[in-house]
Amino acid sequence: MELNNFILLSAILFSIGAVGVLVRRNAIVVFMSVEMMLNAANLAFVTFAKANGSIDGQVIAFFVMVVAAAEVVVGLSIIVSIFRTRRTASIDEASLLKF
Amino acid sequence: MNNVAIPILALGLIAGAFAVFSVAIASITGPKRYNRARVDAYECGIEPTPQPMGGGRIPVKYYLTAMLFIVFDIEIVFLYPWAVSFDSLGIFGLFEMFLFSASVLVVYAYVWRRGGLEWD
Amino acid sequence: MSSALIADITAPSVNYYMLAPILIVLGGAVLSVLVEAFYPRESRRSAQIALVLTTLVVAFLAVLNIKVDAILGFTIVNSLAIDGVSVFLQGLIILSALVGALLISENRIDPLGDAFAAQSSALPGSEDELAFTERGWYQTEIWSLFLFSVGGMLIFPIANDLLTLFVALEVMSLPLYLLVGMARRRRLLSQEAALKYFVLGAFSSAFMLYGSALVYGFANSVELGDIAKALSASAANSNLMLVGGIFILIGLLFKVGAAPFHQWTPDVYQGAPTAITAFMSAGTKVAAFGALLRVFYVALSGLAWDLSAVLWAIAIITMLVGTIIGVAQSDIKRMLAYSSIAHAGFLLLGVIAQSKAALDGSLFYLAGYAFTSLGAFAVVSLVRDASGEANHLGQWAGLGKRSPVIASVFTLFLLALAGIPLTSGFVGKFAVFAAAYEKGLAPLVVVAVIASAIAGFFYVRVIVLMFFTDASGDEVSVVVPSFATAAAITITAVVTIVLGVIPQPVFDLLSNALFLK
Repeated sequence: MELNNFILLSAILFSIGAVGVLVRRNAIVVFMSVEMMLNAANLAFVTFAKANGSIDGQVIAFFVMVVAAAEVVVGLSIIVSIFRTRRTASIDEASLLKF
Repeated sequence: MNNVAIPILALGLIAGAFAVFSVAIASITGPKRYNRARVDAYECGIEPTPQPMGGGRIPVKYYLTAMLFIVFDIEIVFLYPWAVSFDSLGIFGLFEMFLFSASVLVVYAYVWRRGGLEWD
Repeated sequence: MSSALIADITAPSVNYYMLAPILIVLGGAVLSVLVEAFYPRESRRSAQIALVLTTLVVAFLAVLNIKVDAILGFTIVNSLAIDGVSVFLQGLIILSALVGALLISENRIDPLGDAFAAQSSALPGSEDELAFTERGWYQTEIWSLFLFSVGGMLIFPIANDLLTLFVALEVMSLPLYLLVGMARRRRLLSQEAALKYFVLGAFSSAFMLYGSALVYGFANSVELGDIAKALSASAANSNLMLVGGIFILIGLLFKVGAAPFHQWTPDVYQGAPTAITAFMSAGTKVAAFGALLRVFYVALSGLAWDLSAVLWAIAIITMLVGTIIGVAQSDIKRMLAYSSIAHAGFLLLGVIAQSKAALDGSLFYLAGYAFTSLGAFAVVSLVRDASGEANHLGQWAGLGKRSPVIASVFTLFLLALAGIPLTSGFVGKFAVFAAAYEKGLAPLVVVAVIASAIAGFFYVRVIVLMFFTDASGDEVSVVVPSFATAAAITITAVVTIVLGVIPQPVFDLLSNALFLK
């Protein structure tokens, strides 16, 4: 198996996630894009662990999964509370605070 | 590498064979009665949860349950590496894992006492 | 292969003595969740306040107990570094948290209760919200969140590997995202600030994590010391390491509020309850700069040459954005937010300079800034009209005639932020600029001095507004606070002056402050 392919895949996933955060308008979709970036990092960690023959990367992936779950809970609670107030999850609608 | 794969493959085959066998034998030997409950999605015999039709909204209490599930479910991930290296970690690992479970339990106590587990 | 690796795993040695402050704060946080679970609602608030204050005081004593000369080292498989810088920063963070806790506990300023929504799950403007408010309920979970956040801040600047750094970053930030969105007044604004903070914060921490993955691929380790070794061992710097290093810096620069990653700062500072703004402006800044200094001094110094152009640009943009856009602000909290961005720019000089003098200067600067900023936001929370805080600058006109004491104290904080002699702000700025100049960063120092002069303009403008302009007619009053806020303002004002007049004891303290590599 060519490990470079995995790194390439993780870079592609990370880029899709980053572009998703920047261009999508629905808070939930933005949030899913962030999760995709975290998982891209996980893939890179595990691949490098395999390539370098160390176990650290695999352990790190566990921690990242747990942190991502905590982030989901906090993020969704904020999004749900905003949605209940305004009946919309669009990022553009949240524009009370401006320069 | 091969000898590791063989038992896993064998287990998969046995499991698959068992599934095919049970379904086949039930359809051959079992009685054939048709009613509404038979065509519903399988939910342990209770009434299926109503699905919101045409863009309806799912009640927010599902969200709370889902969040609680994610948080408690994902903590299990730490038990696997500990279980694998239990022998080398010894009493230190056991104690740490006890502390870890205790702190998860504290959050559970909070959720329970504040009514997070009540459905209505 | 994998079974051989597992056999290598042994129980790590944990130095509980060195970890005591962190363990005490996190243990207090767990106890605080238990208080939430088992105390009746009426006694919850006082129990939480007592628990939080006790925890922080005991944790501070534990920090004092760590003998910097005698015991220095790494612990838990090199994932945490206890050195002079760690001990100093932990002490500073706990003291800031203590002052922050005093401000958060305030419930006299607002006739309805404290600064937080009675039940943050109730819809803004709904019948439920009204009912909860009338019953005088308090959202006491803020105390658990607060302690967890402080725990994360204590770990963040002493993390010696990239995983611990990431986890600490999240432990510090996740409770803050929630706290930002729980204001009692102007709840829509507060929730929106929380959403922005969360989305941008998660985005930047994802960058930091991916950067960590790339660096791990290059160095085959996430320990800061190993990364430095791998950097010096490789003849040519690989792109993997360069991109990874830049991604990690993006995550850290976001947290310190450096341009162009500063957009969240004004919105969050404005929308959050003012007590939380005060706490995070001090605590997050100290923790994040501590981490940035450690990562840069310990791990990435081999990349300093490659990164210098980027860092110079970021420092210059940060200083200019903070001061020039700050001049145009009409909201006092947004103005202080831009001021915090400008200060991040000045502090970046200390990061770039990479010398013992620059490190001392930066740490002193952080100490001075933390207390000044806490004090300034505490004063902001006192000036109110009928609908809540009066944050519009126009409403502050003529304040000096009606409440000379509060106006004078605020003037002191503004002068410290501007860096006028005899305040802590001047000493910190001077130390950082001098150290940067010695390391040949003269162009940056010139920009910094010009930016300071521009920033001085908008601080002085507020002073002129308070003392030499007549009131516009808006009914603004300065509320007499309870003992907690009064104590917080007194402490921060005294520290601001004392550090400005006799800074030497702190610099003596800093003589031991070195990074363990």
